[in-house]
This record gives sequence, C-alpha cells and structure tokens, in this order.
Amino acid sequence: MIDVSVFTPKTVYVTYIAATPEQVWQALTDPAFSKRYFFGFAVAVEPREGGAFRLHDPDGRIHASGEVVAWDPPRRFSSTWIVEGMGGFDALPACLVTYDIEWSGESVKVTMTESHSWNVPDAILSGGRSGWPAVMCNLKTLLETGKTLSIAPEGPPPEMVEAVKKAVIEKPWLKR
Amino acid sequence: MFKALADASRRELLDRLRAENGQTLNELCVRLDMTRQAVSKHLAILEEANLVATVKRGREKLHYLNPVPIHEIGERWIGKFDRSRLQALSDLKRNLETRDE
Repeated sequence: MIDVSVFTPKTVYVTYIAATPEQVWQALTDPAFSKRYFFGFAVAVEPREGGAFRLHDPDGRIHASGEVVAWDPPRRFSSTWIVEGMGGFDALPACLVTYDIEWSGESVKVTMTESHSWNVPDAILSGGRSGWPAVMCNLKTLLETGKTLSIAPEGPPPEMVEAVKKAVIEKPWLKR
Repeated sequence: MFKALADASRRELLDRLRAENGQTLNELCVRLDMTRQAVSKHLAILEEANLVATVKRGREKLHYLNPVPIHEIGERWIGKFDRSRLQALSDLKRNLETRDE
C-alpha cells in the first residue's frame, strides 16, 4: 500500500448534486454508469482496499490503472492513477484521485481531489484541469436530469505532452 | 456566484489561486493591499459561492480555485459549435492586442 501522507492536493473540484450519496457512489464506481458522464470512459474497480482500479477508454483499452487506497461506501473512494498508452505518461509517479461524498443540506457535496507526491509542474496538471470540470459537470447533470450535455474535452494539451517528456527524462521526483 | 464575482478584490484572489493553487490565508495576504480580516471575509464569500474549495491540512487551510460552477454556466449558454468560433475570436483579440504593445 502506498504512503498517502507524501501526497499533496494539487487540484480540488467541488460540485453540489441533488441526489443521494448512494447514487453518487454508484455513478463513480459503476462501469456502465461512469461511461455515460465520463465521455465513454468506463471505471472498473475491485471493491476493496488494495483492489485494482482501471479506467478503460471508449475503445476498451486501458487508459489509466492503479490501486484502490480507500473504499468506504458511500463516503470515500480513493485510488492511485497511472495513465497508460500515451507515450511516457506511465513513467510518471502515480497520482492519487480521491472522491469525498457528504450530505450538505438538501444536496450532496462531491469533492474530487487530485494529489501528487512530487512538485508536479502546472503544464502536467493542465491536462486534468481541462478535463475534470467537464466530468464533474456531466456527473451532476446526469444525476439530476438523466441526461448529459457536456462537450468532450480535447486530448492532452501540447504543453502537457512536452512537460511529460521533459519530466520523464529529468525525473525531478528523485531529487529531494 | 455572480455576486461573488462582482468584486474586484475577490476576482484578484481567484487570479492568485489560478497562478498558484493551494495557498494558505497567510500566503494569499502577501503583497495584497487588504487586511487579513478582509481577505478572510472575501475567501468565505468565494467558498460560499463554491468558487473556492478548501482542504484542511494539519492546522492550515489550503485554498483552491474551483472552476466547476463557471464551467456549468459555460455549458448552459455556449454550444458545441459556438465554442470553436469563440476560441478563434479570443485568439484573434489576443494576437491583435499583444501586437500593439
């Protein structure tokens, strides 16, 4: 099991959804449901701490893989992420993606936190920052209306691809 | 949310979080022409509007820019095809304006 204490939150997104924590939990962990708001990407997760986490792209290939770090339905789901099949991305240290679900008045507050164990440059974070708001928005719309309207974000920005290449060569996470 | 965005000091705080996410109140107060109390009050309004998300770390509270509500507004009024035209217009504006400098 990884040491969570070395991870620092770098991106934190919050949305309030008129649903129950159980509905949000299902949306975040069910392959068929996740496909509907995650732009065709399907979550596949072994429902236990230490279990395997996978995110399949719309063609069924593995886009990201990792390990379940927290499995506490319907409150907290946390897993490591290594992005695969994108030339070099899988040489980066794993990041940690955590969803916290809690009641807030009549609705449910969903917090997505992306944490890193190294001083990751903004250019690498830009990929997630262009995609996550759309995913969170889509999740909310789907749970509240049964429909989605979001526009799929484009692939990784060119500056992200460049920054990943540079980081993989220089390996700044090895320097302390 | 619009009320929260209507204030220049609050927009400046959001700009500073965009430049560097995850700052404490103390860090946000550096080089700002505002009292600590005023910054704290503005942050509370931004958090109430869900434009700022916070994470407790030990005794510190870290502040993060939360663009999700702004994204929701964008989706409500900007369609799929408008987006590329708007991007082209905004690129053009930026190019022309930087050339003048």
